Amino acid sequence: NSVGEACTELKREYDQCFNRWFAEKFLRGESAGDPCGQLFKRYQLCVQKAIKEKDIPIEGLEFMGPSKGKTENSS
Amino acid sequence: HPWETVTMAAMQKYPNPMNPSVVGVDVLDRHVDPGGKLHSHRLLSTEWGIPAIVKSLIGTCRTKTYVQEHSVVDPVKKTMELKSSNISFTNLVSVDERLVYKPHPHEPDKTILTQEAIISVKGVSLSSYLEGLMANTISSNAKKGREALEWVINRLNAEIEEFTASARGTMRNSMAAAAFVEK
Repeated sequence: NSVGEACTELKREYDQCFNRWFAEKFLRGESAGDPCGQLFKRYQLCVQKAIKEKDIPIEGLEFMGPSKGKTENSS
Repeated sequence: HPWETVTMAAMQKYPNPMNPSVVGVDVLDRHVDPGGKLHSHRLLSTEWGIPAIVKSLIGTCRTKTYVQEHSVVDPVKKTMELKSSNISFTNLVSVDERLVYKPHPHEPDKTILTQEAIISVKGVSLSSYLEGLMANTISSNAKKGREALEWVINRLNAEIEEFTASARGTMRNSMAAAAFVEK
């Protein structure tokens, strides 16, 4: 399950893709190419939104930015 | 179990019946570094079953504890390292854990796990009894962790068997149908 309830389905799709790639390619030394990029991006956007909404204080990750608290988003 | 099996299981560890308090897992970031190692940053949400009276005091949105986990998998050297530390709104007690999975040096079908935990308590001074209690919980959790992986590995094997059996069944059916049509 995902921290953001709405993201659980996206997470499952991504997880399935990742687990297959991890077992069949990465562990056998073929790490080039990432077939899950698109799924990951969609899932990520959802998770980031959920984390901001729930105000979870995660440190040291690029997407959160260096400052805590509310920031202006012009998108 | 061989290192590859354990590593795959560790990636899919939750949910499992030995850790019922972990209610959510999310991948915050994942990338392969220039050295070929896979880095994953994950967020784990845990719910501890806090009594209702405590929930009414601190508010229900603060009953989840979050754990931040950074894992590095090196497929060439065959090591998997996991570092996790808890994030919580109270920040009173923090637990940092480090786990390393490596193939057994003498038995290639086995994997060795080394695990350490650092407990820090800040702010209000808690007695050493409580710290001892936490240390016991962590070592029994370490055992649960191994049982949890065992459970995941068995489940993955069962899924593979089921898939193979149904694939065989489907092939037999389609071959029988083809033979029927030819007649």
